[in-house]
Amino acid sequence: MSEEVKEPRGLKLDGSSYKVLIVDDSIFVQKQLRQILTSEQFDIIDAASDGTEGVEKYKQHQNEIDVVTLDITMPNMDGITALEHIMKVNPKAKVIMISALGKEELVKQALVAGAKNYIVKPLDREKVLSRIHAVVSR
Amino acid sequence: MRVEYINPFVESAVSVLREVLGSDVSRGQISLGSKISVLHDVAVIVGLVGQVEGRVVLDLDKTTALKIVSVMNGEEMTEFDEMTNATLTELGNMISGRAVTRLAELGYKFDVTPPAIFVGSSTVSDTIESLIVPIVTEFGAFKINVALRER
Ligand SMILES: [Mg+2]
Repeated sequence: MSEEVKEPRGLKLDGSSYKVLIVDDSIFVQKQLRQILTSEQFDIIDAASDGTEGVEKYKQHQNEIDVVTLDITMPNMDGITALEHIMKVNPKAKVIMISALGKEELVKQALVAGAKNYIVKPLDREKVLSRIHAVVSR
Repeated sequence: MRVEYINPFVESAVSVLREVLGSDVSRGQISLGSKISVLHDVAVIVGLVGQVEGRVVLDLDKTTALKIVSVMNGEEMTEFDEMTNATLTELGNMISGRAVTRLAELGYKFDVTPPAIFVGSSTVSDTIESLIVPIVTEFGAFKINVALRER
């Protein structure tokens, strides 16, 4: 009996986990992302609830973080501003925007500012895993 | 208030709920409310500012609200706490986000405020009559109550 064994998408070739920073002001969305990502062995290195905290935590863990998921509508500092700060800290940073807003101009703005991808909520497990995997593995 | 403002919110609520509940959702008949809306146990309120102004309310009873958040969390939730409130707020966020995206495609420019949630019955008063559309899910029905006007 031959069965194809699929490698969890959160693992690198050397068997260690990709490390993710989650930035979202909703504890519900944070929980959802955590569940989806850890189910395929991504490692959630930290989470932040607004843009300011997100940038701080990015700086704190920048040598280890493989990818950031970044919400747009948040208090204190919005996600587009946080994205600009993160890209200044590390022009090679891999950031994926996750928002309930899919307005074309906003998506363009985020991609121009350096985001690698843009996911519109509601979150679909397969969509989240495949897009994040595509970004970290290239 | 023009009926075309409420439709994107109703369509968005139906499609977002179909996705998060994984079952069929339909809309009921539109009706005209008054300037004072008496809301049920749980109200999720989103404000709109810009070319169109006003507010959109998801008006639910406790049982329906808890059943919907239980499905969204993949676990039974029987009491209101930080997580149930965050889940309902996120539902409001996704519904208004998709509606605003649609209205932007139609040429309307405005922003939405992050949703606020009120648990316990409440009343909202507006300067115009609201429009109400029931949304029917397998976990119970709730109302979308919209009062918007052009500036
Ligand atoms: Mg948010």
